[in-house]
Amino acid sequence: MQDGVLTTAGVLAGLSGAVSDHSQVLLAALASTAAGALSMGAGAYLGTRAETEVLRGELERTRREIERAPYVAQEALLDQLEKEGLSREAGFRVVRLLSSSPQTLMTTAEEKVFGLAGGMLGNAALDGLVMGVAFVGGALIPLVPYLLIARTRPALLAALATTAIALFGVGYFEGWLARRAARWRSGLRFLAIAMGAAVAGYLIGLAISPLGATAG
Amino acid sequence: MLKPGDIVPSFDLPAVENGRERRISIGGLDSELGILFFYPRDFSFICPTEVTGFNKAVASFAAENTAVLGASIDDIDSHRRWARELGGIAYPLLADEGGKLAHACGVFDDKERTAMRATFVFDRKRIVIFSQACPINVGRSITEILRVVRAYRSGRLCPADWNPGDQFGPIDRKY
Repeated sequence: MQDGVLTTAGVLAGLSGAVSDHSQVLLAALASTAAGALSMGAGAYLGTRAETEVLRGELERTRREIERAPYVAQEALLDQLEKEGLSREAGFRVVRLLSSSPQTLMTTAEEKVFGLAGGMLGNAALDGLVMGVAFVGGALIPLVPYLLIARTRPALLAALATTAIALFGVGYFEGWLARRAARWRSGLRFLAIAMGAAVAGYLIGLAISPLGATAG
Repeated sequence: MLKPGDIVPSFDLPAVENGRERRISIGGLDSELGILFFYPRDFSFICPTEVTGFNKAVASFAAENTAVLGASIDDIDSHRRWARELGGIAYPLLADEGGKLAHACGVFDDKERTAMRATFVFDRKRIVIFSQACPINVGRSITEILRVVRAYRSGRLCPADWNPGDQFGPIDRKY
């Protein structure tokens, strides 16, 4: 969602600096939103799918190994627990207890020794859909005020204002999740970084606007 | 690694036997033969059957005037708890902390930092008469070691897979 907000605000700001026609800027921003949503969604789908396939392969290989030689998993788990600070004797008792359930021993060894977990298997289609929808949702925050206000400069200011409020809100929410005392600081930091990107986009647009005049 | 004909290094180490601590030195053994077997670690899922296996056979070895000694790099405290965990061990478990004895016998695994799964049988003069080392995942055959002890003590030429009651080899052959 943050990508949607920033990308769209950046496009609006950048193009507003280079192009004076309100509808052209809006059209470009809509196209950018569509392209961004599709590419982000496709990227999330492909990434999750690849990750899931690799992880599934690793899990299957590890499970075959544990089934073939359970003592290897027991010893490896025992070593890992020792490395994490448990005494060898206590670790032995823990592993022996886990060994009473082969399935539990397997999943524990997978997680602790091999760093794999069945829960890490994602849903590629869902990830892609969520990413795309979130992008569009974020893009609407600057797009809606820009759409409702006919004149470019006031429309841009309104878009940037709603963007700023949204970004501050995301930063504040992040601070709330992290239980930080000064959540407003999280909000301001988030806003400063994001708006910096938007301002840079606007200035770049201003800088390259003569190229458009020359090409025309 | 020590082989038949080599001399077992002298040692004097703390040990646990029947729940009690004592010191064991090779010079203090009064049996005809001695078995010194190394295992990697206490509280392991690979080693327990060997330690308990030797424990079950300790009376059979005693009948052959053979002392059994187990050794690992663990300390005396660990041996005490491990022996208790296994239900009591009736022969000494030597605390070869740092693996000095294992090094001297040529059976210290530098990569794993533990002793290998190795066994030595030696006589009163500390001369090795039998030695073997096993992979980490293969437990020793205590039955085979007992067979070797019995065959050696027979003083006779023993054919392959000889067991008590089987025929010996011809007495006119030198070996």
